[in-house]
Amino acid sequence: MGNSISDGLPPPSVPRSRKASDSRTEAAAVADIAPAIEAEQEISDEKLLIAVGNSKDRQAFDQLFKRFAKRIFAMGMKLTRNEQLSNDLVQEAMLTVWQKAPLYDLDRGTAQSWIFTLTRNRCFDMLRKLKRQPSTVNADDIWPQEGEHDGNMVHEEQGSQEVEIAQIEAYYEQLPDAQREVVEQIYIHDRTHEEAAEHLQIPLGTLKSRLRLAVGKLRHLIGIEQ
Amino acid sequence: MTDKRALHPTETMLEEFATGNLSTGKCVAIAAHVELCAECRQRTSEIEAQATLAWLAETGSDSTESSSDYASLVDSIVAQPQFSDADEFAEQDAASPVREIHMHERSITLPSVLARIASDGLVWKKLAGGINQASVMLDDETQCEFLYMKPGSQVPVHKHQGNEITLVLDGSFSDAMGNYGPSDFVVRTPSHTHQPASDEGCLCFAVLDSPLTFTKGLARLFNPVNRYRFKRATSQRV
Repeated sequence: MGNSISDGLPPPSVPRSRKASDSRTEAAAVADIAPAIEAEQEISDEKLLIAVGNSKDRQAFDQLFKRFAKRIFAMGMKLTRNEQLSNDLVQEAMLTVWQKAPLYDLDRGTAQSWIFTLTRNRCFDMLRKLKRQPSTVNADDIWPQEGEHDGNMVHEEQGSQEVEIAQIEAYYEQLPDAQREVVEQIYIHDRTHEEAAEHLQIPLGTLKSRLRLAVGKLRHLIGIEQ
Repeated sequence: MTDKRALHPTETMLEEFATGNLSTGKCVAIAAHVELCAECRQRTSEIEAQATLAWLAETGSDSTESSSDYASLVDSIVAQPQFSDADEFAEQDAASPVREIHMHERSITLPSVLARIASDGLVWKKLAGGINQASVMLDDETQCEFLYMKPGSQVPVHKHQGNEITLVLDGSFSDAMGNYGPSDFVVRTPSHTHQPASDEGCLCFAVLDSPLTFTKGLARLFNPVNRYRFKRATSQRV
Protein backbone atom coordinates (compact mmCIF):
# COMPACT_ATOMS: atom_id res chain seq x y z
CA MET A 1 0.00 0.00 0.00
CA GLY A 2 0.97 3.60 -0.13
CA ASN A 3 2.13 3.35 -3.72
CA SER A 4 -0.97 4.74 -5.37
CA ILE A 5 -0.39 7.87 -7.36
CA SER A 6 -2.36 10.69 -5.92
CA ASP A 7 -5.46 10.15 -8.05
CA GLY A 8 -5.16 13.25 -10.11
CA LEU A 9 -4.77 15.55 -7.13
CA PRO A 10 -2.87 18.70 -7.89
CA PRO A 11 0.62 18.77 -6.40
CA PRO A 12 0.81 20.18 -2.88
CA SER A 13 2.78 23.13 -4.13
CA VAL A 14 -0.30 24.78 -5.60
CA PRO A 15 0.02 28.44 -4.67
CA ARG A 16 -2.18 29.41 -1.79
CA SER A 17 -4.73 32.03 -2.56
CA ARG A 18 -4.45 35.08 -0.41
CA LYS A 19 -8.08 36.08 -0.46
CA ALA A 20 -9.17 38.05 2.52
CA SER A 21 -11.21 35.97 4.82
CA ASP A 22 -12.81 36.64 8.11
CA SER A 23 -15.26 33.82 8.07
CA ARG A 24 -14.40 31.34 10.78
CA THR A 25 -15.95 28.53 8.83
CA GLU A 26 -14.01 29.24 5.71
CA ALA A 27 -12.84 25.64 5.66
CA ALA A 28 -16.35 24.36 5.81
CA ALA A 29 -17.66 26.96 3.44
CA VAL A 30 -15.14 26.17 0.76
CA ALA A 31 -15.65 22.47 1.16
CA ASP A 32 -19.38 23.01 0.75
CA ILE A 33 -19.17 25.06 -2.38
CA ALA A 34 -17.53 22.45 -4.50
CA PRO A 35 -16.21 18.97 -4.49
CA ALA A 36 -13.24 20.91 -5.78
CA ILE A 37 -10.34 19.03 -4.28
CA GLU A 38 -8.25 21.87 -5.51
CA ALA A 39 -9.74 24.09 -2.86
CA GLU A 40 -8.81 21.62 -0.16
CA GLN A 41 -5.19 22.06 -1.02
CA GLU A 42 -5.36 25.78 -0.54
CA ILE A 43 -6.36 25.75 3.09
CA SER A 44 -3.41 25.48 5.40
CA ASP A 45 -3.27 22.81 8.07
CA GLU A 46 -3.17 25.59 10.64
CA LYS A 47 -6.46 27.06 9.41
CA LEU A 48 -8.12 23.68 9.55
CA LEU A 49 -6.84 23.08 13.05
CA ILE A 50 -8.07 26.50 14.17
CA ALA A 51 -11.52 25.77 12.74
CA VAL A 52 -11.56 22.45 14.62
CA GLY A 53 -10.40 24.01 17.88
CA ASN A 54 -12.43 27.20 17.81
CA SER A 55 -15.69 26.00 16.34
CA LYS A 56 -15.66 22.19 16.36
CA ASP A 57 -15.71 22.32 12.57
CA ARG A 58 -16.37 18.78 11.42
CA GLN A 59 -15.52 19.42 7.78
CA ALA A 60 -12.17 20.85 8.74
CA PHE A 61 -11.50 17.82 10.92
CA ASP A 62 -12.41 15.60 8.01
CA GLN A 63 -9.81 17.38 5.90
CA LEU A 64 -7.14 16.98 8.57
CA PHE A 65 -8.02 13.31 8.84
CA LYS A 66 -7.60 12.87 5.09
CA ARG A 67 -4.28 14.66 5.11
CA PHE A 68 -2.73 12.98 8.14
CA ALA A 69 -4.15 9.46 8.47
CA LYS A 70 -1.62 7.90 6.11
CA ARG A 71 1.25 9.82 7.60
CA ILE A 72 0.31 8.71 11.10
CA PHE A 73 -0.03 5.15 9.87
CA ALA A 74 3.44 5.36 8.35
CA MET A 75 4.94 6.64 11.59
CA GLY A 76 3.22 3.79 13.40
CA MET A 77 4.68 1.22 11.01
CA LYS A 78 8.12 2.68 11.48
CA LEU A 79 7.97 2.60 15.26
CA THR A 80 5.90 -0.56 15.85
CA ARG A 81 6.18 -2.59 12.61
CA ASN A 82 2.66 -3.73 13.26
CA GLU A 83 -0.30 -2.93 11.04
CA GLN A 84 -2.98 -3.33 13.69
CA LEU A 85 -1.12 -1.09 16.13
CA SER A 86 -0.58 1.46 13.41
CA ASN A 87 -4.29 1.55 12.68
CA ASP A 88 -4.96 1.99 16.38
CA LEU A 89 -2.44 4.79 16.39
CA VAL A 90 -4.31 6.61 13.61
CA GLN A 91 -7.46 6.43 15.68
CA GLU A 92 -5.83 7.52 18.94
CA ALA A 93 -3.77 10.30 17.41
CA MET A 94 -6.69 11.74 15.44
CA LEU A 95 -8.87 11.59 18.56
CA THR A 96 -6.20 13.59 20.38
CA VAL A 97 -6.08 16.08 17.50
CA TRP A 98 -9.82 16.60 17.95
CA GLN A 99 -9.69 16.82 21.74
CA LYS A 100 -6.67 19.05 22.01
CA ALA A 101 -7.24 21.31 19.00
CA PRO A 102 -8.39 24.13 21.33
CA LEU A 103 -4.98 23.97 23.02
CA TYR A 104 -2.98 24.29 19.79
CA ASP A 105 -0.77 27.38 19.93
CA LEU A 106 0.19 28.97 16.64
CA ASP A 107 3.06 30.82 18.32
CA ARG A 108 4.82 27.60 19.25
CA GLY A 109 5.02 25.78 15.96
CA THR A 110 3.32 24.51 12.83
CA ALA A 111 0.23 22.33 12.84
CA GLN A 112 2.31 19.55 11.29
CA SER A 113 4.83 19.70 14.10
CA TRP A 114 2.01 19.72 16.64
CA ILE A 115 0.48 16.60 15.09
CA PHE A 116 3.90 14.96 14.79
CA THR A 117 4.70 15.35 18.49
CA LEU A 118 1.22 14.34 19.53
CA THR A 119 1.45 11.18 17.40
CA ARG A 120 4.87 10.40 18.87
CA ASN A 121 3.36 10.70 22.35
CA ARG A 122 0.40 8.46 21.62
CA CYS A 123 2.71 5.88 20.04
CA PHE A 124 5.05 5.98 23.03
CA ASP A 125 2.14 5.34 25.40
CA MET A 126 0.76 2.54 23.22
CA LEU A 127 4.11 0.77 23.23
CA ARG A 128 4.48 1.19 26.98
CA LYS A 129 1.07 -0.30 27.51
CA LEU A 130 1.87 -3.18 25.20
CA LYS A 131 5.06 -3.95 27.12
CA ARG A 132 3.07 -3.69 30.34
CA GLN A 133 5.33 -1.02 31.72
CA PRO A 134 4.15 0.71 34.89
CA SER A 135 1.91 3.69 34.34
CA THR A 136 3.94 5.91 36.67
CA VAL A 137 4.60 8.34 33.83
CA ASN A 138 3.13 8.85 30.40
CA ALA A 139 4.33 10.60 27.29
CA ASP A 140 2.60 13.87 28.17
CA ASP A 141 4.64 14.01 31.39
CA ILE A 142 7.84 13.44 29.43
CA TRP A 143 7.02 15.90 26.64
CA PRO A 144 4.72 18.45 28.28
CA GLN A 145 2.93 20.82 25.94
CA GLU A 146 3.58 24.18 27.43
CA GLY A 147 0.35 25.95 28.09
CA GLU A 148 -1.50 22.73 28.82
CA HIS A 149 -0.96 22.96 32.53
CA ASP A 150 -1.50 26.65 32.99
CA GLY A 151 -4.81 27.20 31.30
CA ASN A 152 -6.20 28.69 34.46
CA MET A 153 -3.47 31.12 35.21
CA VAL A 154 -5.08 33.91 33.27
CA HIS A 155 -8.19 33.68 35.39
CA GLU A 156 -6.19 33.72 38.58
CA GLU A 157 -4.34 36.79 37.51
CA GLN A 158 -7.41 38.84 36.81
CA GLY A 159 -7.79 40.06 40.37
CA SER A 160 -4.83 42.40 40.46
CA GLN A 161 -4.03 45.34 42.69
CA GLU A 162 -5.43 48.75 42.11
CA VAL A 163 -3.46 50.79 39.69
CA GLU A 164 -4.13 54.06 37.94
CA ILE A 165 -6.09 53.36 34.79
CA ALA A 166 -4.04 55.89 32.85
CA GLN A 167 -0.90 54.14 33.89
CA ILE A 168 -2.13 50.79 32.61
CA GLU A 169 -3.15 52.39 29.34
CA ALA A 170 0.37 53.69 28.85
CA TYR A 171 1.80 50.23 29.42
CA TYR A 172 -0.87 48.68 27.26
CA GLU A 173 0.36 50.78 24.34
CA GLN A 174 3.81 49.26 24.80
CA LEU A 175 2.63 45.70 24.27
CA PRO A 176 3.50 43.99 20.99
CA ASP A 177 0.59 44.17 18.51
CA ALA A 178 -0.27 40.50 18.79
CA GLN A 179 -0.63 40.72 22.55
CA ARG A 180 -2.35 44.10 22.57
CA GLU A 181 -5.13 42.99 20.26
CA VAL A 182 -5.83 40.04 22.54
CA VAL A 183 -6.00 42.27 25.62
CA GLU A 184 -8.23 44.64 23.69
CA GLN A 185 -10.66 41.86 22.82
CA ILE A 186 -10.89 40.51 26.34
CA TYR A 187 -10.67 43.59 28.53
CA ILE A 188 -11.98 46.37 26.33
CA HIS A 189 -14.56 44.62 24.18
CA ASP A 190 -15.29 42.23 27.01
CA ARG A 191 -15.39 39.17 24.79
CA THR A 192 -15.02 35.62 26.03
CA HIS A 193 -11.85 33.76 25.13
CA GLU A 194 -13.78 31.75 22.57
CA GLU A 195 -15.32 34.83 20.94
CA ALA A 196 -12.00 36.65 20.86
CA ALA A 197 -10.21 33.68 19.28
CA GLU A 198 -12.88 33.47 16.64
CA HIS A 199 -12.79 37.17 15.94
CA LEU A 200 -8.99 37.23 15.63
CA GLN A 201 -8.90 33.96 13.70
CA ILE A 202 -6.32 32.44 15.99
CA PRO A 203 -6.42 29.20 17.96
CA LEU A 204 -7.82 29.40 21.45
CA GLY A 205 -4.50 28.05 22.75
CA THR A 206 -2.64 30.93 21.09
CA LEU A 207 -5.08 33.45 22.47
CA LYS A 208 -4.57 32.15 25.98
CA SER A 209 -0.82 32.10 25.76
CA ARG A 210 -0.66 35.63 24.31
CA LEU A 211 -3.04 36.86 26.99
CA ARG A 212 -0.89 35.22 29.64
CA LEU A 213 2.23 36.86 28.26
CA ALA A 214 0.53 40.25 28.02
CA VAL A 215 -0.96 40.13 31.51
CA GLY A 216 2.38 38.94 32.89
CA LYS A 217 4.17 41.80 31.16
CA LEU A 218 1.67 44.39 32.40
CA ARG A 219 1.92 43.11 35.93
CA HIS A 220 5.67 43.16 35.70
CA LEU A 221 5.70 46.76 34.46
CA ILE A 222 3.27 47.82 37.15
CA GLY A 223 5.33 46.03 39.77
CA ILE A 224 8.46 47.90 38.77
CA GLU A 225 6.67 51.22 38.98
CA GLN A 226 5.45 50.68 42.52
CA MET B 1 38.43 21.74 33.32
CA THR B 2 35.48 19.63 32.34
CA ASP B 3 34.12 20.25 28.87
CA LYS B 4 30.83 21.98 29.66
CA ARG B 5 29.06 20.59 26.63
CA ALA B 6 29.88 17.12 27.95
CA LEU B 7 27.41 17.69 30.77
CA HIS B 8 24.39 17.68 28.46
CA PRO B 9 22.73 14.86 26.51
CA THR B 10 24.53 14.21 23.22
CA GLU B 11 22.97 15.30 19.94
CA THR B 12 22.13 11.66 19.18
CA MET B 13 20.38 11.26 22.52
CA LEU B 14 18.34 14.39 21.91
CA GLU B 15 17.38 13.06 18.47
CA GLU B 16 16.27 9.74 19.90
CA PHE B 17 14.43 11.59 22.64
CA ALA B 18 12.64 13.90 20.22
CA THR B 19 11.49 10.98 18.08
CA GLY B 20 10.47 8.82 21.03
CA ASN B 21 13.06 6.15 20.29
CA LEU B 22 14.48 5.64 23.78
CA SER B 23 13.60 3.66 26.88
CA THR B 24 11.27 5.42 29.29
CA GLY B 25 14.00 5.68 31.94
CA LYS B 26 16.33 7.56 29.61
CA CYS B 27 13.49 9.71 28.26
CA VAL B 28 12.64 10.73 31.81
CA ALA B 29 16.25 11.68 32.61
CA ILE B 30 16.53 13.71 29.40
CA ALA B 31 13.12 15.32 29.89
CA ALA B 32 14.14 16.41 33.40
CA HIS B 33 17.39 17.87 32.08
CA VAL B 34 15.59 19.59 29.20
CA GLU B 35 13.24 21.25 31.66
CA LEU B 36 16.25 22.66 33.52
CA CYS B 37 18.33 23.60 30.46
CA ALA B 38 17.09 26.28 28.03
CA GLU B 39 19.74 25.36 25.47
CA CYS B 40 18.70 21.71 25.24
CA ARG B 41 15.04 22.73 25.24
CA GLN B 42 15.65 24.95 22.25
CA ARG B 43 17.64 22.22 20.52
CA THR B 44 14.88 19.69 21.16
CA SER B 45 12.26 21.90 19.48
CA GLU B 46 14.56 22.37 16.51
CA ILE B 47 15.03 18.62 16.22
CA GLU B 48 11.27 18.11 16.48
CA ALA B 49 10.75 20.60 13.67
CA GLN B 50 13.32 18.81 11.49
CA ALA B 51 11.85 15.42 12.31
CA THR B 52 8.44 16.73 11.29
CA LEU B 53 9.75 17.84 7.90
CA ALA B 54 11.44 14.46 7.39
CA TRP B 55 8.19 12.74 8.31
CA LEU B 56 6.18 14.82 5.83
CA ALA B 57 8.76 14.24 3.10
CA GLU B 58 8.79 10.46 3.65
CA THR B 59 5.07 10.07 3.58
CA GLY B 60 4.21 12.42 0.74
CA SER B 61 0.84 14.06 0.40
CA ASP B 62 -1.46 11.19 -0.56
CA SER B 63 -4.70 11.78 1.11
CA THR B 64 -6.91 9.09 2.52
CA GLU B 65 -9.87 7.97 0.45
CA SER B 66 -13.30 8.39 1.93
CA SER B 67 -14.82 5.10 2.95
CA SER B 68 -17.62 4.10 5.25
CA ASP B 69 -15.13 2.80 7.86
CA TYR B 70 -13.38 6.08 7.81
CA ALA B 71 -16.58 8.09 8.03
CA SER B 72 -17.80 6.19 11.08
CA LEU B 73 -14.42 6.66 12.76
CA VAL B 74 -14.63 10.41 12.18
CA ASP B 75 -18.21 10.34 13.48
CA SER B 76 -17.16 8.64 16.68
CA ILE B 77 -14.28 11.05 17.20
CA VAL B 78 -16.25 14.25 16.70
CA ALA B 79 -18.83 12.97 19.19
CA GLN B 80 -16.15 13.25 21.90
CA PRO B 81 -15.84 16.41 24.00
CA GLN B 82 -12.89 18.73 23.42
CA PHE B 83 -10.45 19.94 26.06
CA SER B 84 -11.64 23.50 25.97
CA ASP B 85 -13.84 23.90 28.96
CA ALA B 86 -12.53 25.55 32.08
CA ASP B 87 -13.62 22.67 34.27
CA GLU B 88 -11.44 20.25 32.38
CA PHE B 89 -8.48 22.50 32.98
CA ALA B 90 -9.42 22.66 36.63
CA GLU B 91 -9.38 18.89 36.76
CA GLN B 92 -5.93 18.77 35.22
CA ASP B 93 -4.67 21.38 37.66
CA ALA B 94 -6.04 19.49 40.61
CA ALA B 95 -4.13 16.44 39.46
CA SER B 96 -0.84 18.28 39.21
CA PRO B 97 1.71 16.68 41.49
CA VAL B 98 3.60 18.05 44.44
CA ARG B 99 6.71 19.72 43.11
CA GLU B 100 8.99 19.59 46.12
CA ILE B 101 10.63 16.90 48.15
CA HIS B 102 12.37 17.32 51.47
CA MET B 103 15.78 15.84 52.05
CA HIS B 104 17.37 16.38 55.44
CA GLU B 105 15.63 19.69 56.02
CA ARG B 106 16.29 20.95 52.53
CA SER B 107 13.32 21.48 50.30
CA ILE B 108 14.12 20.66 46.68
CA THR B 109 11.96 21.58 43.70
CA LEU B 110 11.87 18.76 41.17
CA PRO B 111 11.45 18.99 37.40
CA SER B 112 7.79 18.21 36.66
CA VAL B 113 8.34 14.74 35.19
CA LEU B 114 10.28 13.66 38.27
CA ALA B 115 7.72 15.30 40.54
CA ARG B 116 5.08 13.18 38.84
CA ILE B 117 7.11 10.04 39.57
CA ALA B 118 7.93 11.06 43.14
CA SER B 119 4.29 11.86 43.88
CA ASP B 120 3.57 8.12 43.73
CA GLY B 121 5.71 7.84 46.87
CA LEU B 122 9.41 7.07 47.18
CA VAL B 123 10.77 4.34 49.38
CA TRP B 124 14.25 5.23 50.59
CA LYS B 125 16.84 2.62 51.44
CA LYS B 126 20.19 3.21 53.10
CA LEU B 127 23.20 1.95 51.21
CA ALA B 128 26.86 1.94 52.26
CA GLY B 129 28.84 5.19 52.50
CA GLY B 130 26.07 7.64 53.40
CA ILE B 131 24.04 7.01 50.26
CA ASN B 132 20.26 6.72 50.21
CA GLN B 133 18.48 5.26 47.27
CA ALA B 134 14.85 5.18 46.12
CA SER B 135 14.24 2.94 43.12
CA VAL B 136 11.47 3.63 40.66
CA MET B 137 10.21 1.22 38.05
CA LEU B 138 9.81 2.86 34.68
CA ASP B 139 10.56 0.19 32.10
CA ASP B 140 12.19 -3.20 31.69
CA GLU B 141 15.46 -2.00 30.19
CA THR B 142 16.80 0.32 32.83
CA GLN B 143 17.19 0.66 36.56
CA CYS B 144 16.12 4.10 37.69
CA GLU B 145 16.56 5.65 41.06
CA PHE B 146 16.76 8.83 43.06
CA LEU B 147 20.06 8.94 44.91
CA TYR B 148 20.70 11.13 47.88
CA MET B 149 24.32 11.47 49.00
CA LYS B 150 24.64 12.90 52.49
CA PRO B 151 27.25 15.66 52.98
CA GLY B 152 30.65 13.99 53.18
CA SER B 153 29.52 10.74 51.59
CA GLN B 154 31.38 8.57 49.12
CA VAL B 155 30.23 5.81 46.80
CA PRO B 156 32.59 2.80 46.67
CA VAL B 157 34.81 2.68 43.56
CA HIS B 158 32.83 1.06 40.78
CA LYS B 159 32.65 0.62 37.06
CA HIS B 160 29.69 -0.08 34.83
CA GLN B 161 28.87 -2.85 32.44
CA GLY B 162 26.51 -0.52 30.67
CA ASN B 163 25.86 3.19 30.65
CA GLU B 164 24.93 5.25 33.64
CA ILE B 165 23.24 8.61 33.38
CA THR B 166 23.28 10.79 36.46
CA LEU B 167 21.30 14.02 36.51
CA VAL B 168 22.17 16.33 39.38
CA LEU B 169 19.06 17.90 40.90
CA ASP B 170 20.46 19.65 43.95
CA GLY B 171 23.85 20.07 45.62
CA SER B 172 26.94 18.67 43.91
CA PHE B 173 29.22 15.68 43.66
CA SER B 174 32.61 15.07 42.14
CA ASP B 175 34.75 12.27 40.81
CA ALA B 176 38.19 12.07 39.21
CA MET B 177 36.77 13.64 36.04
CA GLY B 178 35.15 16.71 37.48
CA ASN B 179 32.70 18.43 39.73
CA TYR B 180 28.98 18.40 38.91
CA GLY B 181 26.16 20.70 39.96
CA PRO B 182 22.42 21.16 39.35
CA SER B 183 21.13 20.23 35.84
CA ASP B 184 24.45 18.56 34.91
CA PHE B 185 23.87 15.42 32.87
CA VAL B 186 26.73 13.02 33.57
CA VAL B 187 27.15 9.96 31.35
CA ARG B 188 29.49 7.14 32.36
CA THR B 189 30.23 4.28 29.99
CA PRO B 190 31.71 0.81 30.65
CA SER B 191 35.24 2.18 30.28
CA HIS B 192 34.90 4.48 33.29
CA THR B 193 35.80 3.43 36.81
CA HIS B 194 34.84 6.11 39.22
CA GLN B 195 34.28 6.99 42.84
CA PRO B 196 31.76 9.79 43.27
CA ALA B 197 31.89 11.79 46.48
CA SER B 198 29.87 14.70 47.78
CA ASP B 199 31.04 17.29 50.28
CA GLU B 200 27.88 19.38 50.46
CA GLY B 201 25.37 16.59 49.80
CA CYS B 202 23.64 15.84 46.53
CA LEU B 203 20.31 14.69 45.14
CA CYS B 204 20.45 12.94 41.75
CA PHE B 205 18.27 10.96 39.43
CA ALA B 206 20.21 8.04 37.93
CA VAL B 207 19.45 5.66 35.08
CA LEU B 208 21.50 2.52 34.57
CA ASP B 209 21.17 0.21 31.66
CA SER B 210 22.97 -2.65 33.40
CA PRO B 211 24.22 -3.38 36.91
CA LEU B 212 27.17 -1.67 38.57
CA THR B 213 30.25 -3.69 39.48
CA PHE B 214 32.26 -2.63 42.50
CA THR B 215 35.99 -3.04 41.92
CA LYS B 216 37.60 -2.48 45.32
CA GLY B 217 37.72 -4.06 48.75
CA LEU B 218 34.82 -5.36 50.74
CA ALA B 219 32.32 -3.58 48.54
CA ARG B 220 32.94 -6.36 46.01
CA LEU B 221 30.91 -8.58 48.30
CA PHE B 222 27.89 -6.62 47.11
CA ASN B 223 28.38 -7.55 43.49
CA PRO B 224 26.03 -10.53 43.32
CA VAL B 225 23.51 -8.46 45.26
CA ASN B 226 23.80 -5.63 42.78
CA ARG B 227 23.00 -7.96 39.94
CA TYR B 228 20.09 -9.36 41.85
CA ARG B 229 18.87 -5.87 42.63
CA PHE B 230 19.08 -4.92 39.00
CA LYS B 231 17.16 -7.97 37.93
CA ARG B 232 14.50 -7.27 40.46
CA ALA B 233 14.17 -3.63 39.61
CA THR B 234 13.73 -4.37 35.94
CA SER B 235 11.62 -7.51 36.12
CA GLN B 236 8.32 -7.20 34.36
CA ARG B 237 5.24 -6.98 36.41
CA VAL B 238 2.03 -8.29 35.07
